[in-house]
Amino acid sequence: MPNKIEEILETAAAIAKGMSVTFKEMMSPTVTENYPDEPPKFEERFRGVHVLQRDESGLEKCVACFLCAAACPAQCIYIEAAENTGAVRISGGERYAQAYNIDYSRCIFCGYCVEACPTDAITHGHGFEIASFNTSTLVYRKERLLAPAPPGARPPEIFTEAPSAH
Amino acid sequence: MAAPVKLTIDGKAVEAAPGTLVIDAAKLVGINIPSFCYYEGLTLQAACRMCLVEVEKAPKLLAACTLPVAEGMVVRTETPVVAEARKYTLEFLLTNHPLDCPVCDKGGECELQDMVFRYGAGESRYSENKLHVDEKQWSPVVFYDGPRCILCFRCVRICSEGMGVGALGIVNRGAVSEIAPNHGDHLECDECGMCIDICPVGALTSGTYRYKTRPWEMDHVGTICTHCSNGCKTTLGVRNGQIIRGNNRDRSGINGEFLCIKGRYGFDFTDHPERLQSPLMRVNGKLEAASWSVALAAVAKKFSEVRARHGSFGVIGSTHTTNEENYYLQKFARSVLGTNHIDHHRSGDVVTLLDALSGTAGSLSTTADLYERKAVLVVGADLSSQQPFLAFQIRANYRHHQARVYVVTENEVREDGIAAATVRVDKGGELAGVHSLAEKLKTESELVIVFGDSIKGEAVRELVAFGNSLGIPVKYVALVDYSNSRGALDMGLVPELLPGYQPSNQPGMTVGEMLESESLEVLWVVGANPLESAAMKAKDAFVVVQEMFLTETAQRADIVLPAASAYEKTGTVTNVTGEVQRLKTGPSTMGAKPDLEIIGLIARDMGLAAAVGPWIADKVFEEIRATVKGYSVPMAIISAGGAAHTMPVNGRIPVESRPDLIHSSRDNLFTSGTLGRYSKMLGSVMEGRQA
Ligand code: SF4
Ligand code: SF4
Ligand code: SF4
Ligand code: SF4
Ligand code: SF4
Ligand code: FES
Repeated sequence: MPNKIEEILETAAAIAKGMSVTFKEMMSPTVTENYPDEPPKFEERFRGVHVLQRDESGLEKCVACFLCAAACPAQCIYIEAAENTGAVRISGGERYAQAYNIDYSRCIFCGYCVEACPTDAITHGHGFEIASFNTSTLVYRKERLLAPAPPGARPPEIFTEAPSAH
Repeated sequence: MAAPVKLTIDGKAVEAAPGTLVIDAAKLVGINIPSFCYYEGLTLQAACRMCLVEVEKAPKLLAACTLPVAEGMVVRTETPVVAEARKYTLEFLLTNHPLDCPVCDKGGECELQDMVFRYGAGESRYSENKLHVDEKQWSPVVFYDGPRCILCFRCVRICSEGMGVGALGIVNRGAVSEIAPNHGDHLECDECGMCIDICPVGALTSGTYRYKTRPWEMDHVGTICTHCSNGCKTTLGVRNGQIIRGNNRDRSGINGEFLCIKGRYGFDFTDHPERLQSPLMRVNGKLEAASWSVALAAVAKKFSEVRARHGSFGVIGSTHTTNEENYYLQKFARSVLGTNHIDHHRSGDVVTLLDALSGTAGSLSTTADLYERKAVLVVGADLSSQQPFLAFQIRANYRHHQARVYVVTENEVREDGIAAATVRVDKGGELAGVHSLAEKLKTESELVIVFGDSIKGEAVRELVAFGNSLGIPVKYVALVDYSNSRGALDMGLVPELLPGYQPSNQPGMTVGEMLESESLEVLWVVGANPLESAAMKAKDAFVVVQEMFLTETAQRADIVLPAASAYEKTGTVTNVTGEVQRLKTGPSTMGAKPDLEIIGLIARDMGLAAAVGPWIADKVFEEIRATVKGYSVPMAIISAGGAAHTMPVNGRIPVESRPDLIHSSRDNLFTSGTLGRYSKMLGSVMEGRQA
């Protein structure tokens, strides 16, 4: 009854082939992540919640040029500009963003704003846990987007001098 | 006129008058040659080399801004050689130009940015350190950032030629040249901001707009300035319901790009902290906030009660509310309240002028006539200070058409500098001064006479008789003060006249008489401040005031209703020369309502809405066009934002114009009646404080 024997051999080969895949996968490194039990890993270029950067002296890099807002296809960036003075110095340029909001109920994480920024102030961070039951909490203000000041940062001398009369 | 010159520009045949510059001839066929220092209407500078073009048979590129057309000339404006030359010109301009675009106020509407974008001189071969000079503040209005300046000298020329001020000059030579103000470290000038707006780059920036926003972030609302009677169009930049800047760079409107400090920066009264945003009612002798419905009901109740027993109402209208509001107010007063005691502050004798010109056509000047007519006579007015745009027109006429200007005034005025003849007279001697110019004026081919409030009553008739005796076509302008002073007269805010200068045939009280009257029961003041300079006799009168601020009059009120400003509503206004233009809604102030709506709501609460009709500006204007003499103006012009000249009344006006009541408040460049007191900008410039 060669047919029966053939059948058994074929079945065994198929099982061996199938199990070989299983054993191979068992031996190779895992790619599935254990989120949320373990923190997720990101590629460097992942586009998450934005971070507004500071320069090495701790001043904000954003000079409120509105270019990110102009580039944004979702129109979700809102800025109010104000002038730096001798007493209040927030950014390195002549002016700074007195208000800077991003509305994450509209942002499509396209990265155009980052592309447009002439001072490399706005960047994508890796934050992504922004789901909320209340859309009004999705408008992030500047305070929430700003990077922390680097430790020991001090505004450069030229800004702490008394403004000279001309 | 000489035969036109024929030439070819970029393959297109052009015919232009001899003497036309190539840059202008190109515009005739829609070719735009880039330029920085060339500016239409100003003298030639040929400083920037941006306008270089190729001309056949010429060995080198030529500057189109100083090159007159010649017969058979063949010009090419966009060849590779030309583009290359422009690119190098730009590279030169950028050698010491800071990379400020992200913070510069001009970014987004900068001519230098646009040109670099077009010709691409983005990369520079200059790697040395740039020369930095700190930004300077010359006045609360004008800031100068030297490194950004491309030395086109437009600012210097507009200030000396356009404004007749000459406050800006050039110090040093060559690459280290700088623009400098007239008083060492600061400016003493008209503070008009013309220099700021004409600057092609961000070298001159304004105190109000600096570092606030970006041009593309604002809505641009073209409306009419609410200060003086000249009726300039001002384009308001509105963001988040707030006015951020005013200018008129698109040159729409009768004024082109001209604006004085009030039109350009005097909008800030709209968000003054003292702006009223809620109705106020007097409770136990003190004004307290109330809701609209309660306040309106109280007004309606009082009005109905006094009306039922035929009590006496007095109504004082405004010189800056719209024609619609004025018409509606007088209709309400006359037909519903049954009173003829309605008046406003009169500042010029338009009534006698219209009567004296009755039966003639084309005798009323427009603002354009002041620029086009061959001669202008100014009688008893300091135009540069009180009627800034009219003065600008006359100066431009003198520069472009060599107009002859005659001046008859008490004091020295700026127009003296361009006058063919000046006569200094004592107060009241204006007419005699005019007569002394008779021989000179007879040699002119045409004339516009502009006269102030010293010529009123009989003097106006004498002036018109004098004009007739010259034997040349003469046009007239009777000067008035505020943005709709003329409209208030046209719409019958006077006891003796109905709208369209129809006699009311019913004696009514004037402003002075109302305040003097002891039996007045209700005084209703809409956008005026009569108690600033006078007291009110009727101690028990019920006073209702529609105002933006708690003025002297509003403080005396029993009920104050917060009104919207002219920038916050629609409707039409009529300027000093009788040109009707439409307002557009820019920002809005929470809690305030347009006067038209307030009047309508009072009528509604009295149950008399049907008697006055809908309080919709367009509907009221339709009624005005149909019923008021002179106002059947073409709707197409009005809706398109143009200025339509009102028709002359052409019929005798059989009333006395009350010259005794006519007096101008002589606001200068830095004051604007009660309104001006609430503009921080007008109060901050030193010229305003000195005046
Ligand atoms: S990522 Fe795209 S959508 Fe989001 S803020 Fe930036 S430009 Fe706008
Ligand atoms: S984040 Fe960058 S692009 Fe946006 S306003 Fe600030 S400086 Fe400009
Ligand atoms: S603000 Fe006007 S008057 Fe003053 S410098 Fe500029 S252009 Fe001249
Ligand atoms: S300040 Fe502006 S207008 Fe004046 S010369 Fe410089 S670039 Fe030209
Ligand atoms: S001239 Fe008169 S209307 Fe024109 S901007 Fe000045 S105040 Fe306004
Ligand atoms: S525009 Fe011709 S040289 Fe400047």
